[in-house]
Amino acid sequence: MTRKWLRWLPAATVPAVIAAGVLAGSLPANAGDPLPDKSPAQVLALVAGHRDAAFSGTVEQTSSLGLPELPPASAGGDTAWLELLTGPHTARVYRGGPEQARIQVLDRFAERNVVRNGQDLWFYNSKDNTAAHAKLPAGTRPEPRQDAVPQPDRLAEALLARLGRSGDVTVGPEAEVAGRAAYRLVLTPRSSTSLLAAVEISVDGRNGMPLGVQVKARGQSEPAFSVAFSKLSLEAPDASVFRFSPPPGAAVKELPVPDHRAGDTKRPGPNAHGKVHPKGEAKVSGTGWESVVELPAGAFAADAARQQGGNGDAAALLAKTAVPVPGGKLLSTALLNVLILDDGRVLAGSVPLERLQAVAAGR
Amino acid sequence: MLLALAAVPVLIAVAVRLSSAVPPGRGPAFLDQISQNGLFVGITAMLVAVPLFLPLTIGVVAGDTVAGEASLGTLRYLLAGPAGRGRLLLVKYAGAVLFAVAAPFTIALVGAGIGAVLFPVGPVTLLSGDSIGPAEAVGRLLLIAAYLAVSLVGLAAVGLFMSTLTDVPVGAMAATVVLAVVTQVADALPQLDWLHPWLFSHRWLDFADLLRQPVVWDSFAANALLQAGYVAVFGALAYARLATKDILS
Repeated sequence: MTRKWLRWLPAATVPAVIAAGVLAGSLPANAGDPLPDKSPAQVLALVAGHRDAAFSGTVEQTSSLGLPELPPASAGGDTAWLELLTGPHTARVYRGGPEQARIQVLDRFAERNVVRNGQDLWFYNSKDNTAAHAKLPAGTRPEPRQDAVPQPDRLAEALLARLGRSGDVTVGPEAEVAGRAAYRLVLTPRSSTSLLAAVEISVDGRNGMPLGVQVKARGQSEPAFSVAFSKLSLEAPDASVFRFSPPPGAAVKELPVPDHRAGDTKRPGPNAHGKVHPKGEAKVSGTGWESVVELPAGAFAADAARQQGGNGDAAALLAKTAVPVPGGKLLSTALLNVLILDDGRVLAGSVPLERLQAVAAGR
Repeated sequence: MLLALAAVPVLIAVAVRLSSAVPPGRGPAFLDQISQNGLFVGITAMLVAVPLFLPLTIGVVAGDTVAGEASLGTLRYLLAGPAGRGRLLLVKYAGAVLFAVAAPFTIALVGAGIGAVLFPVGPVTLLSGDSIGPAEAVGRLLLIAAYLAVSLVGLAAVGLFMSTLTDVPVGAMAATVVLAVVTQVADALPQLDWLHPWLFSHRWLDFADLLRQPVVWDSFAANALLQAGYVAVFGALAYARLATKDILS
């Protein structure tokens, strides 16, 4: 009888060993010495002092904004950015210098690429085999904004520049991101009206490069938006990564030279990948965490119309999620409220509806 | 059984050849690329075969291993010899693994062959937009077949265990195939996402990562680890079951 039970021993041990291995792997590994204590100002100085190094890495992005999940890569062209706001995404980021970058958004059986090499900027979508090309004026920063997952270091810099001054900055407990020890900068708004509860930025303890960004919304324990490196290598990627020519048979579209100055100043929320329409002049009221962006009538309508001509994902999403409120329609997410007024104006900001309505009324 | 698998790429190639151009974005991924490049027949055929066809054949082969001998009444005689039960199990499993390796390679090679006959062969466009030459493309094709072979090794171990549970081979086959389908259904339910990384079918379709430039090896490694876990667990279970079983037939 005992011999019989002995035979079952391996069958019982193997799952136990696997479970132990998984548990051991999920424990936070203590990566050597803890980082020296630093004040918030010192960490900020560390970030400001970091050089734009060449690197290659993998970025994981998750968002729970309360938007319905769109099927991955269903949206092509103009509405692709919208799909990036729903569900998780993985992207590989390569940077070879100030004018060389490549971002690959890895979808299932498809991939979206943004390649910048010198003055050439390429977009490629394998789903419908389309490519777009733009010639950038010399000296522009490599910021291929739409069609790609945000890069943690760029996003962190933008957030610090916009929110750092109007919020409190503290240093939280040490974090580990992509296997590297990191300081955790916590930005909290001073005002109580902002929808944002906190923005956490992980900063590499050694070279000051931001490794991850988490945006927390009020009343939500899970981060509403998070993007961070899961793998990072600080070696310069192979130059062949940045050489891109559209594959044979791809439909290539030549884009007009993008005007970066127009698109730069009005990004209200950290997460508003929002399409800022170059034609309409946007107006920003309030500062920092409470800023509200107002797009004049027509700017958004033109956009929506064009998208309806396309595959209509943005319009469909809008119809599905916007709720009627006095004076217009409200698209509410965990981090951003967008008020579409009946007269066509659009107001967006990380603030409650009442504040948007007050701005709309000109108060 | 390999012949039945080889029929999949032939069917796809002939169907595409006879029909007019497939618009991009319709049907299984890569289908629209076949008419430009025959090598994609192999990839498309594997993609089509992964959810049901391959697990079906693996289930039949692995489910038959021990239960088949038992139902024929030959298991007794095999164990009458000096070879132990552990060794018998090992040999039977090796046979199932051999089939799991042969099956995807058959689809890939037959697909590439029929594609080369019916369609032009040229540089292959990867998902990343880069193009590689036909020789490297065949290399990638074989890599995908290897990925699928690894993917099926875990299922073969599950089938082996099922086969030790019963003397009716059809029961073991059906149980294995049903399990393969059920895990894929569970993998599609977002409510069960805590379970997903533990399902042996979770990474079956991630072979597309081998079509990127540079290749994403993470999924290959993670898949191999996952399948190794299944082989260890169900191998041990199968051994325990067979070693303690009263062999009556």
